[in-house]
Amino acid sequence: MSHLGERVSALVDGELNHHERDRALSHLAFCASCRAEVDAVRALKNRLRSLDGPAMPADLTMSLLRMGDPGDPLPPRERPFPSSRTFGGAPIPSMHSVAPPDNRPRGRAAGPRRTRRVGYVAVGVASAAVAIGTLFVVGGPEPGPRVPPVDMFANQHSNTAPYGGSARPSFSPTP
Amino acid sequence: MIRLPAALILAVLMLLGLVAGSPAYASPPDEAENDDTGLHLLREAAIAGRNRGYAGTRHVTVWGRSGAFSSVLRVRNVPGQGLFVRTEPSGPIRRVDPGSPAGSMAAPSEAMLEVLARNYRVVEAGGEHACGRPARLVRVLRADGTLAARYWLDEAGGPVLRRELLDGHGRVVHTEALLDLVLDPARRVAGPALVAGGSDVGEAPRLLSMGWRLPTALPGRLELFAVHVLPTGYLYLGYSDGLSVVSVFVQSGVLDGEQLRGWHAQQRDGHTIWMRNSAEQETIWASGGHVYTVLADAPADTVDAAVAALPHEPVPTLWNRLGRGAHRLLSWANPFG
Repeated sequence: MSHLGERVSALVDGELNHHERDRALSHLAFCASCRAEVDAVRALKNRLRSLDGPAMPADLTMSLLRMGDPGDPLPPRERPFPSSRTFGGAPIPSMHSVAPPDNRPRGRAAGPRRTRRVGYVAVGVASAAVAIGTLFVVGGPEPGPRVPPVDMFANQHSNTAPYGGSARPSFSPTP
Repeated sequence: MIRLPAALILAVLMLLGLVAGSPAYASPPDEAENDDTGLHLLREAAIAGRNRGYAGTRHVTVWGRSGAFSSVLRVRNVPGQGLFVRTEPSGPIRRVDPGSPAGSMAAPSEAMLEVLARNYRVVEAGGEHACGRPARLVRVLRADGTLAARYWLDEAGGPVLRRELLDGHGRVVHTEALLDLVLDPARRVAGPALVAGGSDVGEAPRLLSMGWRLPTALPGRLELFAVHVLPTGYLYLGYSDGLSVVSVFVQSGVLDGEQLRGWHAQQRDGHTIWMRNSAEQETIWASGGHVYTVLADAPADTVDAAVAALPHEPVPTLWNRLGRGAHRLLSWANPFG
């Protein structure tokens, strides 16, 4: 078997399959140079693994945090060709569209729009309440319980001459 | 020899029977029956009821829903002054219109007679006697030929001597008859003619715009002849078929049934109506925020049909109040209202 060569790194990273690993390990048992190379690569990777990550610049951190604050809605994407086809409110890319559909999260950006919509609903509800209240007041309460003055009605009935011109009953004094 | 004469006699008898029963030999129909041959007699009696002086005793009986109601009236007609009526034994003297129910409809207007002729056939039916006097009988027939009313008219140029109304079953339900009569011998030839009369529905358009319901007709050939709001705030609707009067009073509000003492409730088609035993066949019910009161001197079946045709709506709800408010707002905003 020839020396391991490029397979040293794969052996250290554990990326060889069972068969290749068995063959590589059997070669290492008889090849001191490959064994030394494997030890050197393993030591190097251990050292790299022990190193700390690079420090994040403070201004970059602040910039990223500011991006999370609520702000104005994002400007619409400029598309070279308008696309009228949508699915669930999201535009569907067509063969003429160049930009991919805008599927960025809208949670924060739609906040003002929702607030404005809630305001419209509140104004509408208040207007309807005022209108209904006005009709209720103008409609007036139902008159109280009544008992018809039947005797008066009977008097008017008996003194009404049908088709006698003015049908208003007249009560003349007795002679 | 015996059989032949018997068969011959039988054949002759059958021939005579056929001849006697043949329509060709029946008495010819009186073509005049199709005309209102009695209308001119009613018109003359109506003129006399206003223009000729008389005095007498009138007996009135009304068969209502649950019994008969009778009264005796002293009547005295003074041309130029009017008809004076006093209910026996101790009623006050009242001056009434002889064309009104209180005046026994003795002198209807020309318009009333036209309505009568439009709804019924008025035919003269020969001579009779009433109040001990010679009279001309006039029959008022419905379209189906049944008798609706009978009038006995004084042949000597006097007023109506007797008047009967009949219901759809042929029963007499209303009778007004003079028991005695003293007729003024002086005829006022130059007296005023029959009162022209006419409908009194000038307020109808305004009331319709205000949302009132004004049925122009009710079952039983009842036609609307008067519409107006009384000074007390009630709506009055007057209906007549030329024979009798049905008065409908409408007022806003709900009916306080507990205060209706002496009345009894009945269920009619799921609605409660209140009735009282009286000559006027009084009926009360509530409908959609209004209280209806009906009084009539018509037959009970006619009154019942009229009551059934008038509104019977449930108790008003919040929507009714809102609708009333909208209607008022629109009426205020309407510059032509």
